[in-house]
Amino acid sequence: MSGMVRPTALFAQAQQRLEVVPGGTQALPIAIPNFVPGSPADGEVSVGVAQVITNNLKRSGLFAPIDQAAFIEKISNIDVAPQFQNWKTINAQALVTGRMTRQPDGRLQAEFRLWDVAAGQQLAGQKYVTSPESWRRIGHIISDQIYERLTGEKGYFDSRVVFVDESGPKERRVKRLALMDQDGANVRYLTKGADLVLTPRFSPSTQEITYMEFGQGDPRVYLFNIETGQREIVGNFPGMSFSPRFSPDGQRVIMSLQQGGNSNLFVMDLRSKSTTRLTDTPAIDTSPSYAPDGTRLCFESDRGGKPQIYVMPATGGPAQRISFGEGSYSTPVWSPRGDYIAFTKQGGGQFSIGIMKPDGSGERILTSGFHNEGPTFAPNGRVLMFFRDPGGNGGPSLFTVDISGRNEQRVPTPGFASDPAWSPLLS
Amino acid sequence: MKVDKTLVASVALHVLVIGWGLMSFSSKAFESTEIESVPVEFVTDDQLNKITAGIKSGKKENPKPLVEKVAEAKPVDDAVGKITEKKAIVTDAAPDPAPKPVEKPPEKKPDPPKPVAESKPKDEPKPIEKKPDPPKVDPIAEALKKEETKKPAPKPEAKAAPPPPVKKREYKFDRETIAALVDKRDPTRQAFAGDTLNSTPALGTAKGTAATLSASYLSALVSRIHDCWQADGGGFDEQDVKIPITLTFKQDGTLSAPPLLETEPRNDRERAIFEGARRAIIACQPYTMLPAAKYAEWKSLPFLFHNKVD
Repeated sequence: MSGMVRPTALFAQAQQRLEVVPGGTQALPIAIPNFVPGSPADGEVSVGVAQVITNNLKRSGLFAPIDQAAFIEKISNIDVAPQFQNWKTINAQALVTGRMTRQPDGRLQAEFRLWDVAAGQQLAGQKYVTSPESWRRIGHIISDQIYERLTGEKGYFDSRVVFVDESGPKERRVKRLALMDQDGANVRYLTKGADLVLTPRFSPSTQEITYMEFGQGDPRVYLFNIETGQREIVGNFPGMSFSPRFSPDGQRVIMSLQQGGNSNLFVMDLRSKSTTRLTDTPAIDTSPSYAPDGTRLCFESDRGGKPQIYVMPATGGPAQRISFGEGSYSTPVWSPRGDYIAFTKQGGGQFSIGIMKPDGSGERILTSGFHNEGPTFAPNGRVLMFFRDPGGNGGPSLFTVDISGRNEQRVPTPGFASDPAWSPLLS
Repeated sequence: MKVDKTLVASVALHVLVIGWGLMSFSSKAFESTEIESVPVEFVTDDQLNKITAGIKSGKKENPKPLVEKVAEAKPVDDAVGKITEKKAIVTDAAPDPAPKPVEKPPEKKPDPPKPVAESKPKDEPKPIEKKPDPPKVDPIAEALKKEETKKPAPKPEAKAAPPPPVKKREYKFDRETIAALVDKRDPTRQAFAGDTLNSTPALGTAKGTAATLSASYLSALVSRIHDCWQADGGGFDEQDVKIPITLTFKQDGTLSAPPLLETEPRNDRERAIFEGARRAIIACQPYTMLPAAKYAEWKSLPFLFHNKVD
């Protein structure tokens, strides 16, 4: 990296500013000692929370947690300022101290402080009380606090992912809906695998998901309440209904309905159950996804000959094609930040995951391979999750990648996994 | 042959006068004239013309030329005396602003998820309790204050050990030894020379612009901060975010005050960029490339930090 001095005379004027740019990009070295247990019984959870935070920040790619073996100082009391020199010595730029204490009423109290080592300042301090079984979630919430305070961007750790769990031999795969924390922990199965399930999508309320299921007849779109386990069919349409997705306000579901050889986009109001047609073309329009402000939507259509991405007003109207690269584009999904649309691109014998701006500019391929598909954005729009099938006798797995194309990571799942959908932040 | 006496007398007188003049003038001592100080390093003609121009901010009346180093090295009488500039740090009687105690969110509800089988979420709210404000002095503030007062006083400088006796060796030509003696430094100006130190900038001569030559150490300063400051990779900054920061220095090149953000950050991202730059600036001090003789020039410097790596 060069050019930190702009090509201007530095002192042409007496008070001209000296211009500096960063020397590079580097994950921020951060020290996360085990939390201090309030009592000997809190030892396990104190270590566990620190590990959850360490794992989250490390996986983000923006932080480099320092090995605890390098620590000089042992934190025993978080109400006393740490000896900053001890943390400077090991090149820590930030330090997290915390304490986990079981309350007399049985609940768990978590406290943490985030320190700027160089400045010797406390940057954040919070206290939470929760039920003991939610200790991992406390770790995620604290991770988000640290992430937000040090990067200035929203976090994404306190979130969940719904996906299709796949098990059994390839020719007789059992596919079940499953739910887990974004880091792969706390897996729960939502269906038993009797019927084929596809394309689960989270509601903005996080309490409901919508998905497609192949039962005895045509595939249908369902709503499923995660908390109650209850499910209901979305509408009762002739023919197939598929590719459902919630509107940003959670009040409507947009989907494709097949009519003859074509499929078009329809939106259904979940309260009134009224349905509105949005497209009417002799083509296959599918995979709709709303912009976060709800005014526009993107979708996939082969009206131009092969599948491409189009953008149109949410109330219907003329659609504008935005993808013009080689190959075909499918499964578009609008970022929660509104700045990008992610897609699956097929061409040259490869499936790629990429992003482009809503006007079609700035296309960027993030990963390519034999089979990559189904991108879904993290709540902060910075990270994408997708599934990758290496072919052969194996099965698909979940991966995350930064929207810059860096920091690709496999997400641990109990078995094969596909079709992930990331929830909004839980808090 | 008749000799003209007047001619002889005239010749003799002329010889006498000319001889006296030659003798008397040649024996008179040469007068030395005072010369203006010049840079000791090689400089281009253009730079040479500019070199004594002085600094715009210099006093008009100041007749003494700017001198940054003594022309001929003199033995230092009392080396320890230089160290005395670093006075022991004395903390203010008032306590330093303490970090905030853990207290922030009033009754925030993290509301962790519950298994399906369990009761409804509203049955058992899990609020983030607000920690009551401690009425007493914050122990951390006290500790920080203690920490400040504990800062070590400047160490007495150890006397330099006398150099070991040099063994006289028979001269032997060694190419490598000669190469090592060659000054490989770039032939750039290092400092003005003179017989006495004078840190006050002079107005200089009419044609010079010596101040422009000081860009070299400022470039080195910018380069040093550039090397130390690593972007965090966060954010979605498509555009160039510019953070105006003023740095004030002590004469030894350390910061005399924390880096000052000149405008309120417009959002959390700008604040994070500033704090990242601040960490780098603090961690990288002292900035030894700053010449003490020009302290007035760099005592306070305005910067513009850009978040973009490229």
